[in-house]
Amino acid sequence: MERSITTIRFRLRKTSLALLVACIALSSAVMPTARAADDGADRKRDKYLQLFVTLPYLELRTGPGRGYPVTQVAARDESVDVLKRKTDWFKVRTERGTEGWARATDMARLQLADGTPFKVDFGDLEGFARHRWELGIMAGDYGGATLIGGHLAYSLNDSLKIDFAASKFLGNATNGQKFELGLNHVFLPNRRWSPFFELGTGIVEIQPRVTLVAPIDRTDQTAYVGAGMRFYISRRFFLRGEYRWNTVFTSRDDNEEIKEWKLGLAAFF
Amino acid sequence: METRTRRILLMRPLLQAVVIGVLVVSLAGCQTLRWPWFGRDRQAVEPLETEAQAEQAELDDLDRAPPRVIDPQVERRNIKVPKIDDENFELGITYGFLSIEDFGTNPVYGLTGTYHVTEDFFLRADYGRSDAGRTSFETLGGNVQLLTESERQFTSYSLSLGYNFLPGEVFVGRNVAMNSSFYLLGGIGWTKFAGDDRLTYNFGAGFKVLPSDWLALHIGVQDRVFDSDLLGRTKVTNNIEMVLGVTAFF
Repeated sequence: MERSITTIRFRLRKTSLALLVACIALSSAVMPTARAADDGADRKRDKYLQLFVTLPYLELRTGPGRGYPVTQVAARDESVDVLKRKTDWFKVRTERGTEGWARATDMARLQLADGTPFKVDFGDLEGFARHRWELGIMAGDYGGATLIGGHLAYSLNDSLKIDFAASKFLGNATNGQKFELGLNHVFLPNRRWSPFFELGTGIVEIQPRVTLVAPIDRTDQTAYVGAGMRFYISRRFFLRGEYRWNTVFTSRDDNEEIKEWKLGLAAFF
Repeated sequence: METRTRRILLMRPLLQAVVIGVLVVSLAGCQTLRWPWFGRDRQAVEPLETEAQAEQAELDDLDRAPPRVIDPQVERRNIKVPKIDDENFELGITYGFLSIEDFGTNPVYGLTGTYHVTEDFFLRADYGRSDAGRTSFETLGGNVQLLTESERQFTSYSLSLGYNFLPGEVFVGRNVAMNSSFYLLGGIGWTKFAGDDRLTYNFGAGFKVLPSDWLALHIGVQDRVFDSDLLGRTKVTNNIEMVLGVTAFF
Protein backbone atom coordinates (compact mmCIF):
# COMPACT_ATOMS: atom_id res chain seq x y z
CA MET A 1 0.00 0.00 0.00
CA GLU A 2 1.19 3.44 -0.83
CA ARG A 3 1.54 5.93 1.96
CA SER A 4 -0.37 9.10 1.58
CA ILE A 5 1.65 12.29 1.68
CA THR A 6 -0.63 13.77 4.31
CA THR A 7 0.09 10.97 6.73
CA ILE A 8 3.82 11.51 6.39
CA ARG A 9 3.37 15.22 6.87
CA PHE A 10 1.23 14.57 9.92
CA ARG A 11 3.83 12.25 11.28
CA LEU A 12 6.55 14.81 10.68
CA ARG A 13 4.48 17.42 12.40
CA LYS A 14 3.93 15.04 15.30
CA THR A 15 7.64 14.27 15.69
CA SER A 16 8.59 17.92 15.38
CA LEU A 17 5.96 18.76 17.98
CA ALA A 18 7.34 16.06 20.28
CA LEU A 19 10.84 17.37 19.70
CA LEU A 20 9.71 20.90 20.49
CA VAL A 21 7.99 19.78 23.70
CA ALA A 22 11.09 17.80 24.67
CA CYS A 23 13.27 20.81 23.93
CA ILE A 24 11.15 23.10 26.10
CA ALA A 25 11.06 20.56 28.89
CA LEU A 26 14.79 20.04 28.66
CA SER A 27 15.64 23.72 28.52
CA SER A 28 13.36 24.50 31.45
CA ALA A 29 14.95 21.67 33.36
CA VAL A 30 18.49 22.63 32.37
CA MET A 31 18.27 26.41 32.51
CA PRO A 32 18.01 26.87 36.28
CA THR A 33 20.85 24.44 36.92
CA ALA A 34 22.93 26.16 34.27
CA ARG A 35 22.29 29.48 35.98
CA ALA A 36 23.12 27.92 39.33
CA ALA A 37 26.35 26.59 37.87
CA ASP A 38 27.14 30.10 36.56
CA ASP A 39 26.51 31.54 40.01
CA GLY A 40 28.73 28.89 41.52
CA ALA A 41 31.48 29.71 39.05
CA ASP A 42 31.12 33.43 39.83
CA ARG A 43 31.31 32.79 43.53
CA LYS A 44 34.32 30.57 42.98
CA ARG A 45 35.96 33.26 40.91
CA ASP A 46 35.33 35.72 43.74
CA LYS A 47 36.75 33.24 46.19
CA TYR A 48 40.13 33.23 44.50
CA LEU A 49 42.54 36.12 44.40
CA GLN A 50 43.00 37.50 40.89
CA LEU A 51 46.45 38.77 39.97
CA PHE A 52 47.84 40.35 36.83
CA VAL A 53 51.10 39.32 35.25
CA THR A 54 53.51 42.23 34.90
CA LEU A 55 56.52 40.05 34.11
CA PRO A 56 57.21 39.18 30.47
CA TYR A 57 55.76 35.79 31.42
CA LEU A 58 55.04 33.73 34.52
CA GLU A 59 56.47 30.22 34.52
CA LEU A 60 54.11 27.46 35.67
CA ARG A 61 55.44 24.10 36.80
CA THR A 62 53.73 20.75 37.21
CA GLY A 63 54.52 20.61 40.94
CA PRO A 64 55.45 22.76 43.92
CA GLY A 65 59.21 22.44 43.62
CA ARG A 66 62.10 23.64 41.50
CA GLY A 67 62.68 20.12 40.20
CA TYR A 68 59.33 19.90 38.45
CA PRO A 69 59.26 20.89 34.76
CA VAL A 70 57.85 24.15 33.41
CA THR A 71 55.00 23.21 31.07
CA GLN A 72 52.92 26.40 30.84
CA VAL A 73 53.36 30.15 31.00
CA ALA A 74 51.01 33.05 31.62
CA ALA A 75 51.88 36.02 29.40
CA ARG A 76 52.16 39.67 30.40
CA ASP A 77 48.81 41.39 31.18
CA GLU A 78 47.03 38.07 31.53
CA SER A 79 45.31 37.40 34.82
CA VAL A 80 45.71 34.34 37.04
CA ASP A 81 43.57 33.04 39.89
CA VAL A 82 45.52 31.95 42.97
CA LEU A 83 44.16 28.58 44.07
CA LYS A 84 46.44 27.54 46.92
CA ARG A 85 49.88 27.73 48.42
CA LYS A 86 52.32 25.01 49.43
CA THR A 87 55.52 26.21 51.12
CA ASP A 88 56.91 28.83 48.72
CA TRP A 89 54.86 27.80 45.70
CA PHE A 90 51.47 29.05 44.52
CA LYS A 91 49.06 27.07 42.41
CA VAL A 92 47.41 29.36 39.86
CA ARG A 93 44.86 29.02 37.06
CA THR A 94 45.31 31.05 33.90
CA GLU A 95 42.54 32.64 31.83
CA ARG A 96 42.76 29.66 29.49
CA GLY A 97 42.03 27.34 32.38
CA THR A 98 45.45 25.71 32.62
CA GLU A 99 46.85 25.22 36.11
CA GLY A 100 50.39 25.20 37.39
CA TRP A 101 52.70 26.10 40.23
CA ALA A 102 54.51 29.45 40.31
CA ARG A 103 57.45 30.42 42.48
CA ALA A 104 56.77 32.87 45.36
CA THR A 105 59.52 35.25 44.23
CA ASP A 106 57.80 35.52 40.83
CA MET A 107 54.39 35.92 42.46
CA ALA A 108 55.69 38.87 44.48
CA ARG A 109 56.13 40.71 41.17
CA LEU A 110 52.48 40.37 40.14
CA GLN A 111 49.84 43.05 40.72
CA LEU A 112 46.35 43.17 42.15
CA ALA A 113 43.50 44.59 40.06
CA ASP A 114 44.10 48.08 41.53
CA GLY A 115 47.75 48.05 40.48
CA THR A 116 49.24 47.51 43.92
CA PRO A 117 51.90 44.81 44.18
CA PHE A 118 50.93 41.42 45.61
CA LYS A 119 52.47 41.01 49.06
CA VAL A 120 53.94 37.58 49.73
CA ASP A 121 55.10 36.62 53.16
CA PHE A 122 58.47 35.01 52.63
CA GLY A 123 60.53 33.07 55.08
CA ASP A 124 63.17 35.73 55.65
CA LEU A 125 64.64 37.84 58.44
CA GLU A 126 61.59 40.11 58.35
CA GLY A 127 59.37 37.07 58.73
CA PHE A 128 61.56 35.93 61.61
CA ALA A 129 60.83 39.23 63.37
CA ARG A 130 57.14 39.22 62.54
CA HIS A 131 55.06 36.05 62.34
CA ARG A 132 52.16 34.39 64.04
CA TRP A 133 53.11 30.78 64.78
CA GLU A 134 56.22 28.83 65.73
CA LEU A 135 56.61 25.09 65.79
CA GLY A 136 59.71 23.26 66.90
CA ILE A 137 61.39 20.18 68.29
CA MET A 138 63.87 20.26 71.17
CA ALA A 139 66.25 18.00 73.03
CA GLY A 140 68.28 18.55 76.15
CA ASP A 141 68.73 17.74 79.78
CA TYR A 142 66.20 17.88 82.62
CA GLY A 143 67.85 17.38 86.00
CA GLY A 144 70.14 14.69 84.58
CA ALA A 145 67.49 13.00 82.44
CA THR A 146 67.43 13.25 78.64
CA LEU A 147 64.67 15.54 77.50
CA ILE A 148 62.81 15.38 74.16
CA GLY A 149 59.96 17.66 73.31
CA GLY A 150 57.99 19.81 70.96
CA HIS A 151 56.68 23.33 71.33
CA LEU A 152 54.13 25.58 69.69
CA ALA A 153 54.11 29.35 70.16
CA TYR A 154 51.63 32.03 69.19
CA SER A 155 52.82 35.63 68.84
CA LEU A 156 50.74 38.26 70.61
CA ASN A 157 53.05 40.86 69.11
CA ASP A 158 56.62 40.89 67.77
CA SER A 159 58.10 40.48 71.24
CA LEU A 160 55.55 38.61 73.31
CA LYS A 161 54.60 35.00 72.67
CA ILE A 162 52.45 32.38 74.33
CA ASP A 163 54.47 29.20 74.42
CA PHE A 164 53.09 25.69 74.83
CA ALA A 165 55.50 22.78 75.27
CA ALA A 166 55.07 19.05 75.72
CA SER A 167 58.16 17.06 76.67
CA LYS A 168 59.27 13.66 77.76
CA PHE A 169 62.29 12.98 79.94
CA LEU A 170 64.12 9.68 80.29
CA GLY A 171 66.52 9.26 83.16
CA ASN A 172 68.32 6.49 84.98
CA ALA A 173 65.97 6.58 87.97
CA THR A 174 62.82 8.21 86.64
CA ASN A 175 60.93 8.81 83.48
CA GLY A 176 58.18 11.29 82.99
CA GLN A 177 56.49 13.91 80.94
CA LYS A 178 55.61 17.53 81.38
CA PHE A 179 53.25 19.99 79.77
CA GLU A 180 53.91 23.69 80.15
CA LEU A 181 52.30 26.97 79.21
CA GLY A 182 54.23 30.20 79.48
CA LEU A 183 54.97 33.67 78.25
CA ASN A 184 58.04 34.34 76.21
CA HIS A 185 59.46 37.82 75.78
CA VAL A 186 61.89 38.28 72.90
CA PHE A 187 64.30 41.19 73.01
CA LEU A 188 65.43 42.60 69.66
CA PRO A 189 63.08 40.39 67.62
CA ASN A 190 64.36 41.85 64.34
CA ARG A 191 67.97 40.76 64.91
CA ARG A 192 69.48 37.50 63.73
CA TRP A 193 70.50 36.75 67.32
CA SER A 194 67.63 37.59 69.63
CA PRO A 195 67.70 36.82 73.35
CA PHE A 196 64.54 36.01 75.25
CA PHE A 197 63.20 35.68 78.74
CA GLU A 198 60.46 33.28 79.77
CA LEU A 199 58.11 32.55 82.61
CA GLY A 200 55.50 29.83 82.90
CA THR A 201 53.79 27.02 84.68
CA GLY A 202 52.75 23.46 84.00
CA ILE A 203 52.38 19.96 85.30
CA VAL A 204 54.97 17.25 85.53
CA GLU A 205 54.27 13.53 85.79
CA ILE A 206 57.13 11.52 87.29
CA GLN A 207 57.25 7.75 87.01
CA PRO A 208 60.05 5.90 88.80
CA ARG A 209 61.49 3.20 86.55
CA VAL A 210 60.36 -0.39 87.07
CA THR A 211 63.73 -1.49 88.30
CA LEU A 212 63.27 0.72 91.37
CA VAL A 213 61.57 -0.47 94.53
CA ALA A 214 58.81 2.11 95.08
CA PRO A 215 56.92 2.54 91.84
CA ILE A 216 54.68 5.46 92.84
CA ASP A 217 53.60 7.79 90.05
CA ARG A 218 53.12 11.36 90.99
CA THR A 219 51.81 14.44 89.25
CA ASP A 220 52.93 17.83 90.50
CA GLN A 221 52.54 21.41 89.50
CA THR A 222 55.67 23.11 88.26
CA ALA A 223 56.76 26.66 87.48
CA TYR A 224 59.76 27.87 85.56
CA VAL A 225 61.78 30.93 84.79
CA GLY A 226 64.30 30.89 82.00
CA ALA A 227 66.41 32.73 79.48
CA GLY A 228 67.63 31.80 76.07
CA MET A 229 68.72 32.78 72.61
CA ARG A 230 67.14 32.49 69.20
CA PHE A 231 69.25 32.37 66.07
CA TYR A 232 67.77 32.78 62.60
CA ILE A 233 69.32 30.22 60.24
CA SER A 234 67.64 30.67 56.87
CA ARG A 235 64.24 30.58 55.16
CA ARG A 236 61.74 29.71 57.91
CA PHE A 237 64.13 28.01 60.30
CA PHE A 238 65.72 29.19 63.51
CA LEU A 239 67.58 27.62 66.41
CA ARG A 240 66.38 28.05 69.95
CA GLY A 241 68.51 27.34 72.99
CA GLU A 242 67.51 28.00 76.58
CA TYR A 243 68.23 27.42 80.24
CA ARG A 244 65.41 27.07 82.77
CA TRP A 245 65.09 26.92 86.52
CA ASN A 246 62.12 24.72 87.41
CA THR A 247 60.42 24.52 90.75
CA VAL A 248 58.30 21.42 91.29
CA PHE A 249 55.65 21.95 93.98
CA THR A 250 55.73 18.51 95.55
CA SER A 251 53.35 17.18 98.18
CA ARG A 252 56.37 16.76 100.46
CA ASP A 253 57.74 19.49 102.71
CA ASP A 254 60.38 20.76 100.29
CA ASN A 255 59.90 21.92 96.77
CA GLU A 256 62.19 20.38 94.21
CA GLU A 257 64.51 22.55 92.15
CA ILE A 258 65.33 21.16 88.71
CA LYS A 259 67.71 22.72 86.24
CA GLU A 260 66.98 22.25 82.57
CA TRP A 261 68.68 23.16 79.31
CA LYS A 262 67.66 22.37 75.78
CA LEU A 263 68.42 23.16 72.17
CA GLY A 264 66.00 22.89 69.32
CA LEU A 265 65.13 23.56 65.74
CA ALA A 266 61.99 25.58 65.07
CA ALA A 267 60.12 27.01 62.14
CA PHE A 268 57.85 30.04 61.95
CA PHE A 269 54.78 30.52 59.79
CA MET B 1 62.52 146.64 20.75
CA GLU B 2 60.61 143.99 22.50
CA THR B 3 62.24 140.57 22.79
CA ARG B 4 60.41 137.39 21.69
CA THR B 5 60.07 136.22 25.27
CA ARG B 6 58.49 139.41 26.24
CA ARG B 7 56.22 139.10 23.31
CA ILE B 8 55.04 135.69 24.50
CA LEU B 9 54.54 136.98 27.99
CA LEU B 10 52.59 139.86 26.60
CA MET B 11 50.39 137.52 24.61
CA ARG B 12 46.82 137.12 25.39
CA PRO B 13 46.09 134.87 28.38
CA LEU B 14 44.24 132.31 26.23
CA LEU B 15 47.12 131.89 23.88
CA GLN B 16 49.46 131.60 26.88
CA ALA B 17 47.36 128.79 28.29
CA VAL B 18 47.46 126.94 24.97
CA VAL B 19 51.26 127.28 24.68
CA ILE B 20 51.84 126.12 28.26
CA GLY B 21 49.45 123.24 27.76
CA VAL B 22 51.36 122.07 24.67
CA LEU B 23 54.65 122.29 26.60
CA VAL B 24 53.30 120.26 29.55
CA VAL B 25 51.88 117.55 27.31
CA SER B 26 55.10 117.25 25.34
CA LEU B 27 57.16 117.00 28.54
CA ALA B 28 54.86 114.29 29.87
CA GLY B 29 55.37 112.50 26.56
CA CYS B 30 59.11 112.65 27.15
CA GLN B 31 58.64 110.91 30.44
CA THR B 32 56.99 107.95 28.76
CA LEU B 33 60.02 107.40 26.56
CA ARG B 34 62.76 105.26 28.14
CA TRP B 35 65.81 107.34 27.91
CA PRO B 36 69.00 105.47 28.72
CA TRP B 37 69.72 107.60 31.73
CA PHE B 38 66.16 107.77 32.82
CA GLY B 39 65.12 105.84 35.94
CA ARG B 40 68.45 104.03 36.31
CA ASP B 41 68.32 104.00 40.12
CA ARG B 42 64.67 103.02 40.11
CA GLN B 43 65.38 99.78 38.20
CA ALA B 44 67.69 98.66 41.05
CA VAL B 45 64.87 98.96 43.51
CA GLU B 46 62.24 97.21 41.37
CA PRO B 47 63.37 93.51 41.78
CA LEU B 48 63.26 93.93 45.55
CA GLU B 49 59.69 94.96 45.29
CA THR B 50 58.75 92.02 43.05
CA GLU B 51 60.41 89.51 45.39
CA ALA B 52 58.40 90.78 48.30
CA GLN B 53 55.29 90.62 46.14
CA ALA B 54 56.07 87.05 45.08
CA GLU B 55 56.45 85.99 48.66
CA GLN B 56 53.18 87.57 49.55
CA ALA B 57 51.54 85.86 46.57
CA GLU B 58 52.95 82.53 47.64
CA LEU B 59 51.54 82.97 51.14
CA ASP B 60 48.20 83.85 49.62
CA ASP B 61 48.33 80.70 47.45
CA LEU B 62 48.96 78.55 50.47
CA ASP B 63 45.97 79.98 52.25
CA ARG B 64 43.76 79.42 49.29
CA ALA B 65 42.63 75.89 48.26
CA PRO B 66 44.29 74.68 45.05
CA PRO B 67 42.12 75.12 42.00
CA ARG B 68 40.36 71.85 41.05
CA VAL B 69 40.79 71.11 37.40
CA ILE B 70 38.77 67.88 37.45
CA ASP B 71 36.38 66.88 40.16
CA PRO B 72 36.55 63.04 40.16
CA GLN B 73 33.17 61.41 40.54
CA VAL B 74 34.60 57.85 40.50
CA GLU B 75 34.69 55.99 43.80
CA ARG B 76 37.91 54.09 44.49
CA ARG B 77 37.46 50.34 44.07
CA ASN B 78 38.04 48.61 47.32
CA ILE B 79 39.68 45.28 46.50
CA LYS B 80 39.10 42.51 48.95
CA VAL B 81 42.08 40.17 49.06
CA PRO B 82 40.75 36.65 49.60
CA LYS B 83 42.79 34.46 51.89
CA ILE B 84 44.95 31.98 50.04
CA ASP B 85 44.54 28.40 51.15
CA ASP B 86 47.77 27.11 52.70
CA GLU B 87 48.46 23.41 52.42
CA ASN B 88 51.56 22.93 54.51
CA PHE B 89 50.25 20.43 57.06
CA GLU B 90 49.94 16.76 56.26
CA LEU B 91 48.14 14.23 58.44
CA GLY B 92 47.71 10.54 57.85
CA ILE B 93 47.68 6.95 58.90
CA THR B 94 50.26 4.23 58.39
CA TYR B 95 50.20 0.47 58.41
CA GLY B 96 53.02 -1.99 57.97
CA PHE B 97 55.40 -4.36 59.66
CA LEU B 98 57.82 -3.85 62.50
CA SER B 99 60.63 -6.20 63.29
CA ILE B 100 61.32 -5.90 67.04
CA GLU B 101 64.77 -7.28 67.75
CA ASP B 102 64.45 -10.70 69.43
CA PHE B 103 60.65 -10.49 69.41
CA GLY B 104 59.80 -11.25 65.79
CA THR B 105 58.01 -9.28 63.10
CA ASN B 106 54.54 -7.97 63.77
CA PRO B 107 52.01 -5.59 62.22
CA VAL B 108 52.36 -1.93 63.19
CA TYR B 109 49.88 0.86 62.70
CA GLY B 110 50.32 4.53 63.38
CA LEU B 111 49.58 8.17 62.89
CA THR B 112 51.78 10.70 61.19
CA GLY B 113 51.73 14.50 61.14
CA THR B 114 54.02 16.70 59.07
CA TYR B 115 54.61 20.41 58.70
CA HIS B 116 56.31 21.35 55.45
CA VAL B 117 58.57 24.29 56.16
CA THR B 118 60.11 24.68 52.72
CA GLU B 119 59.91 22.58 49.59
CA ASP B 120 62.99 20.74 50.89
CA PHE B 121 62.59 20.44 54.65
CA PHE B 122 59.81 19.25 56.91
CA LEU B 123 59.17 18.52 60.57
CA ARG B 124 57.37 15.30 61.33
CA ALA B 125 55.84 13.61 64.37
CA ASP B 126 55.07 9.89 64.30
CA TYR B 127 53.17 7.57 66.57
CA GLY B 128 53.33 3.81 66.10
CA ARG B 129 51.79 0.86 67.90
CA SER B 130 52.61 -2.80 67.67
CA ASP B 131 52.58 -5.96 69.78
CA ALA B 132 55.75 -7.94 70.26
CA GLY B 133 55.75 -11.69 69.66
CA ARG B 134 57.65 -14.33 71.56
CA THR B 135 61.41 -14.65 71.61
CA SER B 136 62.98 -17.90 70.44
CA PHE B 137 63.98 -18.47 74.06
CA GLU B 138 60.33 -18.36 75.13
CA THR B 139 59.25 -20.58 72.26
CA LEU B 140 61.86 -23.22 73.01
CA GLY B 141 61.61 -22.93 76.80
CA GLY B 142 57.99 -24.02 76.96
CA ASN B 143 56.34 -22.14 79.79
CA VAL B 144 58.88 -19.34 80.13
CA GLN B 145 57.33 -15.84 79.88
CA LEU B 146 59.73 -12.91 79.64
CA LEU B 147 57.03 -10.27 79.43
CA THR B 148 53.39 -9.95 80.39
CA GLU B 149 50.80 -9.21 77.70
CA SER B 150 50.67 -5.47 78.51
CA GLU B 151 54.47 -5.28 78.50
CA ARG B 152 54.47 -6.69 74.98
CA GLN B 153 52.84 -3.52 73.69
CA PHE B 154 55.36 -1.59 71.68
CA THR B 155 54.57 2.11 71.35
CA SER B 156 56.90 4.54 69.64
CA TYR B 157 56.87 8.33 69.45
CA SER B 158 59.29 10.28 67.32
CA LEU B 159 60.02 13.82 66.24
CA SER B 160 61.98 14.04 63.03
CA LEU B 161 63.45 16.41 60.53
CA GLY B 162 62.97 15.36 56.93
CA TYR B 163 64.51 16.29 53.63
CA ASN B 164 62.83 15.86 50.26
CA PHE B 165 65.06 14.93 47.38
CA LEU B 166 64.77 13.64 43.83
CA PRO B 167 61.39 15.21 43.06
CA GLY B 168 59.83 13.83 39.93
CA GLU B 169 56.83 12.34 38.25
CA VAL B 170 55.57 8.81 37.98
CA PHE B 171 53.48 7.75 35.04
CA VAL B 172 50.55 5.40 35.27
CA GLY B 173 49.59 4.33 31.78
CA ARG B 174 49.51 6.90 29.00
CA ASN B 175 47.41 9.67 30.50
CA VAL B 176 48.18 9.90 34.19
CA ALA B 177 51.23 11.61 35.64
CA MET B 178 51.62 12.00 39.39
CA ASN B 179 54.17 14.03 41.30
CA SER B 180 56.53 12.07 43.47
CA SER B 181 59.48 12.55 45.76
CA PHE B 182 61.95 10.62 47.90
CA TYR B 183 62.71 11.78 51.41
CA LEU B 184 65.18 11.15 54.20
CA LEU B 185 64.22 11.26 57.86
CA GLY B 186 66.13 11.47 61.09
CA GLY B 187 64.97 12.17 64.59
CA ILE B 188 64.69 11.46 68.24
CA GLY B 189 61.91 10.07 70.40
CA TRP B 190 61.04 7.41 72.87
CA THR B 191 59.70 3.89 72.83
CA LYS B 192 57.48 2.37 75.46
CA PHE B 193 58.28 -1.32 75.55
CA ALA B 194 58.55 -4.00 78.23
CA GLY B 195 57.22 -1.58 80.85
CA ASP B 196 59.85 1.07 80.33
CA ASP B 197 60.39 4.20 78.24
CA ARG B 198 63.55 4.15 76.21
CA LEU B 199 65.26 7.01 74.43
CA THR B 200 65.10 6.16 70.74
CA TYR B 201 66.83 7.47 67.65
CA ASN B 202 65.09 6.96 64.36
CA PHE B 203 66.30 7.32 60.80
CA GLY B 204 64.97 6.18 57.51
CA ALA B 205 63.82 7.02 54.01
CA GLY B 206 60.61 7.05 52.11
CA PHE B 207 58.96 7.58 48.79
CA LYS B 208 55.71 9.45 48.23
CA VAL B 209 53.37 9.76 45.28
CA LEU B 210 50.71 12.46 45.05
CA PRO B 211 47.64 11.40 43.06
CA SER B 212 46.25 14.91 43.70
CA ASP B 213 47.52 18.06 45.39
CA TRP B 214 46.01 17.15 48.72
CA LEU B 215 46.52 13.39 48.82
CA ALA B 216 49.77 11.46 49.17
CA LEU B 217 50.64 7.77 49.28
CA HIS B 218 53.80 6.82 51.15
CA ILE B 219 56.06 3.86 51.46
CA GLY B 220 58.78 4.18 54.04
CA VAL B 221 61.43 2.32 55.97
CA GLN B 222 62.69 3.44 59.38
CA ASP B 223 65.11 2.02 61.89
CA ARG B 224 64.31 2.70 65.57
CA VAL B 225 67.42 2.29 67.66
CA PHE B 226 67.39 2.03 71.46
CA ASP B 227 69.33 0.36 74.28
CA SER B 228 67.74 -2.71 75.77
CA ASP B 229 68.75 -4.83 78.77
CA LEU B 230 65.86 -7.30 78.52
CA LEU B 231 67.99 -10.31 77.71
CA GLY B 232 70.60 -10.00 80.42
CA ARG B 233 73.09 -7.48 79.11
CA THR B 234 72.57 -4.00 77.69
CA LYS B 235 72.75 -3.88 73.92
CA VAL B 236 71.76 -1.61 71.07
CA THR B 237 68.67 -2.92 69.33
CA ASN B 238 67.66 -2.09 65.77
CA ASN B 239 63.95 -2.28 65.13
CA ILE B 240 63.21 -1.90 61.47
CA GLU B 241 59.76 -1.02 60.26
CA MET B 242 58.32 -0.83 56.79
CA VAL B 243 55.02 0.98 56.40
CA LEU B 244 52.54 2.14 53.79
CA GLY B 245 50.77 5.40 54.49
CA VAL B 246 47.97 7.60 53.25
CA THR B 247 48.13 11.29 54.11
CA ALA B 248 46.11 14.37 53.30
CA PHE B 249 47.36 17.96 53.04
CA PHE B 250 45.39 20.79 54.59
